[in-house]
Amino acid sequence: MKKDEAPKPPLAGVIYGEIAYWLLLAGMLVAVCGSAIYIHSGGIINATCLLDHLWQGADINTIWAECAGVTEVPHGHWYFGALHQADAVAMLGIAIGSTAAVVGMWGALIGLIRSREKFYFVFAIIIAIILTLSALGIITIAH
Amino acid sequence: MTLGLLPKARWFKLLAVIILVMMLFSFSTGIAYAAEQAGSEPATMGMSPIVFFFVFLGISIVIGIIAVLGGVGGGVIFTPLMMGFTPIDSFIIRATGLFVAMCGSLVAARPFLRRGLANVKILFFAGLPYAVFAVLGALLAGYVKTTMGEGGEAMIRLGLGILVIGIAFLIIFGGKKVEYPDVRNVDSFTERLALSMSYWEESMGKVVSYKVKRAPIGILAFCGVGLISGLFGVGAGWAMVPVFNLVMLAPLKVAAASSKVLIGIGDTAAIWPYIMGGGIFPLFAVPCMVGLVIGTMIGAKIMLKIKAGFVRWLIVAVMFGSGTKLVLDGIARLT
Repeated sequence: MKKDEAPKPPLAGVIYGEIAYWLLLAGMLVAVCGSAIYIHSGGIINATCLLDHLWQGADINTIWAECAGVTEVPHGHWYFGALHQADAVAMLGIAIGSTAAVVGMWGALIGLIRSREKFYFVFAIIIAIILTLSALGIITIAH
Repeated sequence: MTLGLLPKARWFKLLAVIILVMMLFSFSTGIAYAAEQAGSEPATMGMSPIVFFFVFLGISIVIGIIAVLGGVGGGVIFTPLMMGFTPIDSFIIRATGLFVAMCGSLVAARPFLRRGLANVKILFFAGLPYAVFAVLGALLAGYVKTTMGEGGEAMIRLGLGILVIGIAFLIIFGGKKVEYPDVRNVDSFTERLALSMSYWEESMGKVVSYKVKRAPIGILAFCGVGLISGLFGVGAGWAMVPVFNLVMLAPLKVAAASSKVLIGIGDTAAIWPYIMGGGIFPLFAVPCMVGLVIGTMIGAKIMLKIKAGFVRWLIVAVMFGSGTKLVLDGIARLT
């Protein structure tokens, strides 16, 4: 058999891979830019204070209290309300990268519909829902 | 030529492993000493944020290169190494470890899926138990941290230490993986799932068609693997490849590619509870993420040119060193 006659990769996988890859790269770019500005001009969390506390083994409650001056650790998508601060922009980049598989999985569903894989469509939609619930903060860790 | 029980080359490797473990311990003692000397002064060991960024970028590049050459994911080296040899809080390290493992996996997914090497049916089938239990693992990590305090931290360190030493043993004695397992008598459950697929094998210049079996055992295994991944913040390629290859009898390349892609799905589910819980700090996470991705790319290029046998021993040394340190830390915190 020649390479031209090789089986085509499943469309659902290709869609997932492309979306996940490019969204992650976009997230990385935003995160790196945000970090560069953060190191240069600061942000919500004082960078030097953060380093001190990281090296002292402080937990997140202490770090947020002492370096950001907040009484409790912010929950949910806190960075959306603080995008004028560089570390929130970096955090947005991390969040964009972390949604890569979520969006990719919803995209893969289109591929599964087109290839009429009903059985795996059910598996994929459950995974997509779990990932979405997780990304929306409905499944979260309390402190 | 042999020296007693082991061949000479093995003695050299063993010696190198011992020396590396000792170096790791010296390094960690140095960090602890420097932090102690800093006293009430800022304990950053003279590092400004920009120096910290580039130091961790460099460390992560090295971890990424070594991980690829040794055939493991970056997360499984990153998390134990950072937890064992830096004073940074374990919750922050596990969150960051999960994040970097996820990023490495998402970058690698694209070529595997475009070539049809990763089996998408297996991904959706195994992704469900893996994602559910990875989330449960992450929630359990938060519960342990919130309710059990120092005792919980000790148990996490002890558990991860034992796990990492176990993985090191798995690398040494894990049995020979089979490139193209012979699959006969597929059970009816797996048959109904229709997981068999084909892909173009470049090295042989032909299409490889394969079947898998024992899907029910695979589901149970992925529940356990997901829980460990979410709880300890490590990627789980070290466990998934044997499950795909030795339990479900998928070809080795398919097992490796599918596990790499699957880590991205499961770790995405697990990372969000950490992000939402404020456990990710860009100053720490971004250089580690960028470093590991760059290291993975460099490692993939180096891998084509060198024999990577020794690197596996290097990883074994890192894992024994980190695992032992974590076990000792855990015991010290418990007593």
